[in-house]
Amino acid sequence: MYEFTTTGWLKHVIFHPVEGFEDLRWKKQGSIKVSMIIVFALFIAMVAQRRLMGFQFNMSYDKIFNVIPIIVQSVVYFFTWVIGNWAICTLFNGEGTLKNICIYSAYALVPYIVCTFIAVFFSNFLVQEEGIWVYFIQYVGLGWSIILMIQAMRAVHQYTFGKTLLSMVMTVVAMLIILFLAILLLSLFQQVYVFVYSVYTEVVYRIRG
Amino acid sequence: MSRMKKSLRRLLTLTMAAFSAMTMMTFQAFADEPYHTYNYDAWGDTVPSQSAYRVKETFSGKEIGLAKLSDSSDPLYVSDNASDILSNSKDLFLDDERKEFWIADTGNHRILRLDENLQIIGRYYGVTGDTKIAVDKDTGLSKFNTPQGVYVHTSSITGDLYAYIADAENQRVVKAKVKSPTELELVQEYVKPKSALYESKTFKPSKIVVDNAENVYAVVKSVNTGSVQFSKDGSFTGFYGANRVEATAAVIAQKLWRKIASNEQIEGMTRNVPSEYANFDIDNDGFIYTVTETSTNTDAVKKLNPAGYNIWDNDVGNEYKFGDVTNDNQNLQSNIWFKPKLTDIVVSNNRNINVLDYTTGRIFQYDKLCNLICIFGNKNTANQKGSFVAPNAVESFDNNVYVLDGSKNDITVFTETTFGQILHHAYELYDEGKYAESEKVWREVINRDGGYTTAYVGLGKAALNHNQYKKALKYFKIAYDQDDYDKAFEYAREDFLRENFTLLICITIGVIVLLVVIVKLVKKKLKAKPKKAKEGK
Repeated sequence: MYEFTTTGWLKHVIFHPVEGFEDLRWKKQGSIKVSMIIVFALFIAMVAQRRLMGFQFNMSYDKIFNVIPIIVQSVVYFFTWVIGNWAICTLFNGEGTLKNICIYSAYALVPYIVCTFIAVFFSNFLVQEEGIWVYFIQYVGLGWSIILMIQAMRAVHQYTFGKTLLSMVMTVVAMLIILFLAILLLSLFQQVYVFVYSVYTEVVYRIRG
Repeated sequence: MSRMKKSLRRLLTLTMAAFSAMTMMTFQAFADEPYHTYNYDAWGDTVPSQSAYRVKETFSGKEIGLAKLSDSSDPLYVSDNASDILSNSKDLFLDDERKEFWIADTGNHRILRLDENLQIIGRYYGVTGDTKIAVDKDTGLSKFNTPQGVYVHTSSITGDLYAYIADAENQRVVKAKVKSPTELELVQEYVKPKSALYESKTFKPSKIVVDNAENVYAVVKSVNTGSVQFSKDGSFTGFYGANRVEATAAVIAQKLWRKIASNEQIEGMTRNVPSEYANFDIDNDGFIYTVTETSTNTDAVKKLNPAGYNIWDNDVGNEYKFGDVTNDNQNLQSNIWFKPKLTDIVVSNNRNINVLDYTTGRIFQYDKLCNLICIFGNKNTANQKGSFVAPNAVESFDNNVYVLDGSKNDITVFTETTFGQILHHAYELYDEGKYAESEKVWREVINRDGGYTTAYVGLGKAALNHNQYKKALKYFKIAYDQDDYDKAFEYAREDFLRENFTLLICITIGVIVLLVVIVKLVKKKLKAKPKKAKEGK
């Protein structure tokens, strides 16, 4: 039973929200390579949403297009989620490994990515009056992904439903802490750099002068 | 020898350089407006723009001819020590029919009447007639005391000219018949209402507007329930068009506190009251336009219908913006943050709306549909033409704009530049819906200012009128006008479908056939595979 290829497993997981992840765990399946591709696709979807959305639906400030915030919103957020969740699961007696959390979380994102692409595609043919369809597809994708994410976290850690929700909320808190510390570290390093650089210029002036 | 040659050559080049530098300098010394003109794009970002207005002239007391008041041989003579300058003047009014200007010269306690060219033709220090307020014993004149507003109206019934004066310190509004260049005869006095509805202890009217039925509306200091309305016979009829309380964070917080505070605590709290409006104007159709100084968002500028309902209400889904709309109100020259303070509004006879911002001295001109036409004017302490110190009032006739400065004590006349002329012409056609005719004019606008957003909307609508949807889409995209783009897109799509209907049908049928074939093939393969598997077992 359940002999699938790698993409076959992906399809199985997405269309079986209740049991899919449990099967995945049971069969020790899931590929880190595929999950990386999915994260990259998330980034592409976000870029597409800003650049390729039909003009009548495009709300983004298109005078400046900066790809850095989008990388942060997709790739960086994803990995902070994974690390945060991993950190929390050690406290909450979760059974997931870092690799598994990464794979399962990425698999759960697929409906959101696909629906974003579909919405972007249709937004180029619809007018604002029919815009409900575009938004509907987007919301369906989002909702589906959220359900899958809850199921993924439940399966990977073998939690009860309540504990899964709690751990997810705590993961968001952990993400905030991680990002806060990262920014702190970055600014500190910048100050160190500025200090070193000013010492360097000072020395250079002395030598020249 | 060669050295001398060298120095000679050097001298020559130096003199040439000096000459060229001097000529350059003379070229650079050209007259320019003392302000940076800009406009807003669809994002609410500022975009540098051509100036649509330039200063034509300024009129101080001298140019107006106030010296006549102390010249005993002149019919306008008052006394030898009559002030020949304006002093802290608060209001400027234009009588459209007679093309006469009226100034409330507040500091000198008088009303001045000027002709079209801003030359004095009348002066009034008080009214004659049956009254007990501020009567001068010698002359019998009921003198004005810091008049802050003036309104002039030709009665449609009798055809007489009536002046309405907000006589602030005397706590009355005077309605007087204009008898001669020097005499006003009292018709009606509007004083503090005795009604219980009127809660304020004082009655200090600052601005007046009169509608066609000769109802009088007065903006009264420290009355925030709207303007005080009087009927023709002088009786108080109520308040008109009150502002709402702006929902700031402080207001919301206080509302929450009130829920849990005790009665004693509530008594100690300040009350959240709407801000009173600073000024208003009435147009020929009887709509009253108000501006509020302290508010920046809620009800800053309103257009009230006769029932007192705000037509420009953003809370019901409109998107009207007035004044400096960006959140970052920063003066780029002085790097100072400021808060807009819209102090006066005027609707010109050509229905353009001019709003004056006291803080920045800028005049924002809108067309009748509230599209921003242009921004001009400036505020600084340098005594420059076109910049103000205390811009108190704005008036407009045709496309000229007049600004009264209460500190520099003069009137600045702005007249449109060539660019301004083209703009006004374009908006005129555009507002009438003559998009096709306006196309050429909008092109001219773009030739002069490629960043003028509305021009692209105009061109887009023209293209839409000519059924050139592709072109329309292009222009609406430049202007970032999503709603119009959407409309154009709908037409374009319909057009596309109609033209390519057969092709599309063929493609769809083809795709369906292809899908069916593929599905069948795949099923065949799937059926074949399990057989193999079975055989393998």
